[in-house]
Amino acid sequence: MDTNNKTPPLLAGRGWGEGASAPDPTRRAILALPLAALAATHARAAEPIRLGLLHTLSPAPFYIAQERGYFAAEGVDVTFRFFQAAQPIAAAAVAGDIDVGVTALTGGFFNLAETGALKVIGGALHEERGYEGSAILVSNAAFAAGVTAPAKLAGRSFAITQYGSSFHYMVGRIAQAEGFDPASVHLRVVQTVPNMVAAVQSGQVDATIAIASMARPLAASGQGHIVGWVGDIVPYQITAVFTTPAMIDKRADALRRFARAYARGVADYRAAFLRLDAAGKPIVDATTDAAIPLLTKYVFTGDPAARAKILGGVGYYDAGGALDAKDVAAQLDWFRKQGLVKGDLPASAIIDTGFLPVR
Amino acid sequence: MPPPDGSGAERPVPFRGGGFAPHARPLLGAATLVVLVALWQAGAMAGLIPRLFLPAPAAVAAALYNLALSGQLWLQMSASLARLAGGWSLGTLAGLLVGLAAGLFTLARSPSLSVVAALFPIPKIALVPLFIIWFGIGEGSKIATIALGVFFPTVIATVGAVDGVPRNLIRMGQSFGLSRAAIVAKIVLPGALPGILTGFRVTAAIAIILLVAAEMIGAERGIGAFVLAAGNLYDTPALLAGIVVLSVLGLLVSWLIGRLERWLLAWR
Amino acid sequence: MPRGLRLEARGIRHAYRDLTVLDGIDLAAEPGQVLVLIGPSGCGKSTLLSILGGMLRPSAGVVLQSGEVAAGCLNPLTYVFQDFALLPWRTVAGNVALALEGAGLPRAARASRVQEMLALTGLSAFAGAWPRQLSGGMRQRVGIARALAVRPACLLMDEPLSALDAQTRDVLADEFAALIARAGTTTVYVTHNLREAVRLGHRIAVLSRRPGRVREIVAIDRPLSGRNMADPDLLRIEAALWALMRDDAAAAAREVSDASA
Repeated sequence: MDTNNKTPPLLAGRGWGEGASAPDPTRRAILALPLAALAATHARAAEPIRLGLLHTLSPAPFYIAQERGYFAAEGVDVTFRFFQAAQPIAAAAVAGDIDVGVTALTGGFFNLAETGALKVIGGALHEERGYEGSAILVSNAAFAAGVTAPAKLAGRSFAITQYGSSFHYMVGRIAQAEGFDPASVHLRVVQTVPNMVAAVQSGQVDATIAIASMARPLAASGQGHIVGWVGDIVPYQITAVFTTPAMIDKRADALRRFARAYARGVADYRAAFLRLDAAGKPIVDATTDAAIPLLTKYVFTGDPAARAKILGGVGYYDAGGALDAKDVAAQLDWFRKQGLVKGDLPASAIIDTGFLPVR
Repeated sequence: MPPPDGSGAERPVPFRGGGFAPHARPLLGAATLVVLVALWQAGAMAGLIPRLFLPAPAAVAAALYNLALSGQLWLQMSASLARLAGGWSLGTLAGLLVGLAAGLFTLARSPSLSVVAALFPIPKIALVPLFIIWFGIGEGSKIATIALGVFFPTVIATVGAVDGVPRNLIRMGQSFGLSRAAIVAKIVLPGALPGILTGFRVTAAIAIILLVAAEMIGAERGIGAFVLAAGNLYDTPALLAGIVVLSVLGLLVSWLIGRLERWLLAWR
Repeated sequence: MPRGLRLEARGIRHAYRDLTVLDGIDLAAEPGQVLVLIGPSGCGKSTLLSILGGMLRPSAGVVLQSGEVAAGCLNPLTYVFQDFALLPWRTVAGNVALALEGAGLPRAARASRVQEMLALTGLSAFAGAWPRQLSGGMRQRVGIARALAVRPACLLMDEPLSALDAQTRDVLADEFAALIARAGTTTVYVTHNLREAVRLGHRIAVLSRRPGRVREIVAIDRPLSGRNMADPDLLRIEAALWALMRDDAAAAAREVSDASA
């Protein structure tokens, strides 16, 4: 009966292309460090780190870092602990079952963080202009009735997994950005992403948000319409890397080395999947092909369509695993205003920027 | 036989009876709960129980108070009560009809009992997505979930209760020339009533359990939806407040059925 | 010849699977008389009573009724049960009224009939009581009141006193005698108690051990109302009955576990 907290494999895949906002290269020296220097640091015994993550494509840079030995090169022995849903990853960190996690920034996550039990240390998936990540998917009936643009969602029913989920946040921010009253949207809580898509497909609700890899085939087969992309309306930090204060206090060095390896994984990931050509189309070349086998060890294993699924599903990561700290503060503020987050810690108290760059 | 000391002296017979007859002490029960809650609160105030792991009773009470004050409690409750009443009544009515038929007619017995045996063990929660396709995302699927959950135990309780009506009473009715309908109305139904009411206790609890499952999908309001949302937000005081409400609801229903039993079964 | 129903069994044979309990019973309950069926346990007397009242289909043979049924009789063949068979969810009055409901009696007539029966059986003060609140003797009084309320043409009484203690049994036997004498109803009375048989029977049919046959019919030519159990004649009949039954009873006791199978 764990269906009730199966929050979004929203991270299952993303749009792809090359980055619009380049990070400040001088921000962190570690990015400029020659790779050879890093490889030399593993004389000591490897530090074990348990990483909690979803078993989807979304944590792809971590797979790359693991497969290319970047963690080992930094002297950390990273064990992947896979989860079926995003929310329990945060709970597992609180319970001490994992040391570091990567998960969606949700109301539930913030509520746990607000108790002082979690700290965000880096960015992961980010909704970005020009990268087709999450689509606004409208049912045929609603489309026929005139819901042809995000601004027309006012007064319509909208499927989300749960209150306080990323989808709830996206709806609220879309309403803000498009200038209609978020309260006019009838939210329908349906627990799981497949339920959300099915609800639109069957016309039980007017609209929902679905990742590109799910939304595109649906729209192509005439079972719904894509009327916009979340990244174009509200670019924001969907998932983030987090740890516990105890880790920061007692094992900062191991964390720092973990972060360096992660940044290398992100760099490889961006090189493989996020470069765009002049027309804004993603570049697929030998670098891309070299990276795909690393990912199929974890996702779409043995699936003949794995390559297409990966290319259609990769999402945007900021360079260096940078954290959009301003956006995290904005999210916390929004959740708090909705009454979904109860604590009163400032955003700065749940963020530690000492390990990875800030966007 | 001589006594162990061999003296044969006069001595009292040792007492070997007694015991095996526990008494109900309602006050003791209530006191236990009060002491547990007090210990819990004290532990929380002393910092022994981190609020993240288990919010203090005072925090739960505050969440409950805010819920009541804001009118939320009533909004959520009224939505849930309507679903409970609708689903339970529907499931109970259908279950009574099928159970009576199976209890009375050979032709209905084996077919309906085999269907019940096949479908009863299915977790109704697993059927929720199917119900959404059948009955839509609105009230239909929620009421269907509860009704189905209530239906099967009602059938089983009713068949058992009808089977349990002493045959000699039915023979007596026949010997006095009562019609079949009169025998059902005056002998079978009243005779089965205690068993059916016991079934009600079970099905009322099942209905409340399934309420949370029913409100998983598409519920804007409802105490089950509220509990799920609170859990998802790790708003543990609200979560526990919702659970307290569900528990009180269960106690209330149980009390109501108890009253019903005292009224209908005064003859026992 | 008193008016009333005559009930006659002809060639009744009955077997439960391959166990024959009754074999060739020819017996009649004469109008207005009490026929007592007596015999060792397992001889099939209760089975015969069920067959007589149409509650059990015999393996062979037929039961015939003749004679007139008085107007106002709601259920000609009416039983009084060993276990009382009262509805526990009905009060004493409700139980007595059971068979009167749906019989087309006006409400007031029904109520007064119930009152009358309760008065007759000394239950007036207990009209509103639940059966569980009554002693066994009181419960069987309700049973007889319920039976008499339908103005039966024939009473079929199945060991009505055997669930009661000896003293209550004597008291109730006297009451039954008075009630039956007053109503003049044809009665078939099953018992294994010789004292009851002698107290209540006009004719006493002694059944043999299984398979049950009629061994002898003893007639007692004395009105029910005047019988005194210290009467030497009655004591002699009781002793004679015992002599008839004794060997069978002893044999039946040895195979009792077999009979109950």
